[in-house]
Amino acid sequence: MFNQLFGNIWLVTLASGAVIMGFLTVNALFLVWLERKLSARFQRRLGPTEVGFAGTLQTLADAVKLLGKQLITPRNADKPLYHLAPVIVFMPVVVGVSLFPIDRQLMFVDLNVGLVLVFAFAGIGFIGIFMAGWGSNNKYALLGAMRAVAQNIAYEIPLILSALSVTLLARSMKLSAIVEAQSTLPYLLFQPLGAAIYLIGAVAETNRAPFDIPEAESELVAGFHSEYSGMRFAVFFLAEYSNMAIVSMVATTLFLGGYHGPWLPGYVWFFIKVYGLISLMMWFRWTFPRLRFDQLMSFAWTVLVPLSLANLMGTAVVLKVFRR
Amino acid sequence: MPTRAKAGAVSERQHSKLGDAPLPETYHLNMGPQHPSMHGVLRLVLHLDGERILDVDPVIGYAHRAHEKMAEHRNYLMFLPNTSRVDYLSGMIYNLAYCQAVEKMLEIEVPERAEYIRVICSELNRISSHLLWFGTFLLDIGGITPFLYAFDDREQILEILDRVTGSRLTYCYGRFGGLTEDVDTTFLDQTRAFVKRLRERLPEYHALVTGNVIFRGRCEGVGVIDQHVALAYGVTGPCLRAAGIAFDVRRAEPYGIYDRFEFDIPTEQSGDALARYKVRVAEIEQSLRIIEQAVAQIPDGPIMPDKPKKRFKPAAGELYFAVESARGQFGIYIVSDGSEIPFRIKLRTPSFSNLAAMPAVLPQTTIADTIAIVGSIDVVIPEIDR
Amino acid sequence: MTATTRAKTNYLVTVLGGLFSLLAGMLITLRNLFRRPVTEQYPKSKPALSKNFRSAIALVRFEETQTHDCVACMQCVQICPSFCIAIEGDKPEGLKRKRATEFHVDYALCSVCGLCIDVCPTNTLKYSRVYDQVAYRRDAFVYDLLTEFRDAEVAYLEKARQEAAAKEAAKQAAAAARANKDTAPAAANASKELEND
Repeated sequence: MFNQLFGNIWLVTLASGAVIMGFLTVNALFLVWLERKLSARFQRRLGPTEVGFAGTLQTLADAVKLLGKQLITPRNADKPLYHLAPVIVFMPVVVGVSLFPIDRQLMFVDLNVGLVLVFAFAGIGFIGIFMAGWGSNNKYALLGAMRAVAQNIAYEIPLILSALSVTLLARSMKLSAIVEAQSTLPYLLFQPLGAAIYLIGAVAETNRAPFDIPEAESELVAGFHSEYSGMRFAVFFLAEYSNMAIVSMVATTLFLGGYHGPWLPGYVWFFIKVYGLISLMMWFRWTFPRLRFDQLMSFAWTVLVPLSLANLMGTAVVLKVFRR
Repeated sequence: MPTRAKAGAVSERQHSKLGDAPLPETYHLNMGPQHPSMHGVLRLVLHLDGERILDVDPVIGYAHRAHEKMAEHRNYLMFLPNTSRVDYLSGMIYNLAYCQAVEKMLEIEVPERAEYIRVICSELNRISSHLLWFGTFLLDIGGITPFLYAFDDREQILEILDRVTGSRLTYCYGRFGGLTEDVDTTFLDQTRAFVKRLRERLPEYHALVTGNVIFRGRCEGVGVIDQHVALAYGVTGPCLRAAGIAFDVRRAEPYGIYDRFEFDIPTEQSGDALARYKVRVAEIEQSLRIIEQAVAQIPDGPIMPDKPKKRFKPAAGELYFAVESARGQFGIYIVSDGSEIPFRIKLRTPSFSNLAAMPAVLPQTTIADTIAIVGSIDVVIPEIDR
Repeated sequence: MTATTRAKTNYLVTVLGGLFSLLAGMLITLRNLFRRPVTEQYPKSKPALSKNFRSAIALVRFEETQTHDCVACMQCVQICPSFCIAIEGDKPEGLKRKRATEFHVDYALCSVCGLCIDVCPTNTLKYSRVYDQVAYRRDAFVYDLLTEFRDAEVAYLEKARQEAAAKEAAKQAAAAARANKDTAPAAANASKELEND
């Protein structure tokens, strides 16, 4: 689509980048507002009401406030790592978003290894988190970073295994092909276990409650980003909410049939599904207490990994037997 | 870099302070006095191996306000506002306990109606304290929403008590011989309505929290204070009852008119964080029972003696008086030299003893457990420091 | 049932029970999502102060005199545990009792225990209904309780002085009359009447 419009690959890249950055910013602003509003309603509060209609501009005001805040660098911080970390955390997100088919003809890049690329870039973010934790020269931050890395490794396996079952069904790793394969029925119906494992893994991947142990406020103050202030902190925040959008987009693409849906246009369906999933994750967060670190790990390694392996094997066997 | 060398030297020194040569791969973590879940200004110096705790050293004293010393420089009445600030979460109980102690010393007769009001207000205060604990404990282990539900209910208590005492937190409601204000029928109606409301809400709490598999996983078998440890450290209150010892000052040495009410002393056997949780929630129900009976039986009459004394001058001597606060046995030891000013007032505060048991309980747990355990024993730091 | 199948059923019960408990919790939060928020929008809707609300102390304005009745007895100053009351008083011309000339309360120190109100012999102390005091400086919380009584106090003292002067004049007149008793008995009767007033 953009190719026809511009024809120039650099222009296309620049334009896509601008669109994606714009989308990520608006998305984060909206999600923070949604989270505050939803959490407030779950807790019988009102949430933001003052700035803009129903407080919609509150997060924008907060972002402006964060822009004006002093950037503090701890005295004994490992400065290159400390300064680079927010960038490393945020950049993979930009690539991740560009890979999803938002509508039949609307996607930035359509690669035949799209799914692999999504997970590959999702993994990079954790290097940034570890850099942040290590570079801050703060024990709480380091503890949070160590937790984050261990958790990421543990939960990426069931996440990818459950995604693999879907690729077996679709016979492709091309995201647009996976979505097209679900034109009649979403894979949720064929892969309920895989979808459930994916959802749990996704919540853990985004460090959200009840798996928010890397930044567990009551234990580690703010975890890996304890020492970050101002816009650097805002970038971590932006990355967190963008990651939520990405894992929900993956889930939408893999299990919910992407842009397929009756009556409404494809992109509307896509975003309904994405934000529905995000709301579900918020609902989790504002209901459950937090797991302990060892419980989280043993849950991943003794429950989710075997289950997802069994799911993958089962899918393969069933496909081998019943598909011509 | 010179700064790094300096930082290393500090940790070396800390190691040697503990006595042994520095252990490889272990480190110290200073948790508090400013930390989101240290309930005020508790400081725990944790000696850690990864996330495993090897040793813990609770440091207290950050909220020391010398209440006991203040008592030695003012007359008996003037110590009244201090009492509710010792433990600001069950200020009513502490305030009335001090009144009762002085009344016992001076042999002042308290009118029936005042006694009943004291019981109702104390139990309301106990429930509000337990509700706040419920909320903050859940907050400690990561559940944010129950905290606000509990505060919604606690708000009702604060409003009821505010209406009669004029304060929301640091009550100064008791006077030697009675109370400052009488209650009216509206107060009794509000209290009845609150009992009904909380009874309806408790099943909701149970569904949201008690049954929750994550919550149980975080609490079951965590931070076991067994009977031996509990008795050795003088642990009282819900922590002691969670270890299976049914000791409650209201039953063991009834004060006021507590011998007139029917209530159970909830106990659990396991002594872990879950047992302490269960005991406190059961205590809320028992307090509701007591309130219900007191509201039904409250007689008419005065709330102060007919001829209240103006000067309080106990004979030389000493007295120990204990009540059951929301956190355990709160004792007041008064020594009088026969003057209007107490010679010494010693407060035995439950959180001090309960916290003292922590070094026996915390080692070999994790950071996350530490938070859960310290949360579950319900410490109020100003009450420890006094 | 063999041991393994029992273990499997137990495992299943644990997992499904756990899942059910999570769903039960989510149902509770969902139910609350549709309930009315309980937030009190403070500056927009002011809370109704409770009946016995305690705040900084204030002086009572009495109907008949239109002013306070602080006699500077210093009992509240002595009983105050926070030492936040400062009173000065003197005996104005024409009154038998002292009157407060300065009455300062440092609300920043006050702990609203109410002991001063209990001891006040003339019942001229009460709780004010101030609840939203904020300031950048501590001395902004030092309230001068006599400010609102300045005019009334001047009028009251003036009246008292005049009454006393009238009384004094009558007394002198009576004394003069007594001196002239023999010459004018009628005047003595008049002064007796005055004294009875």
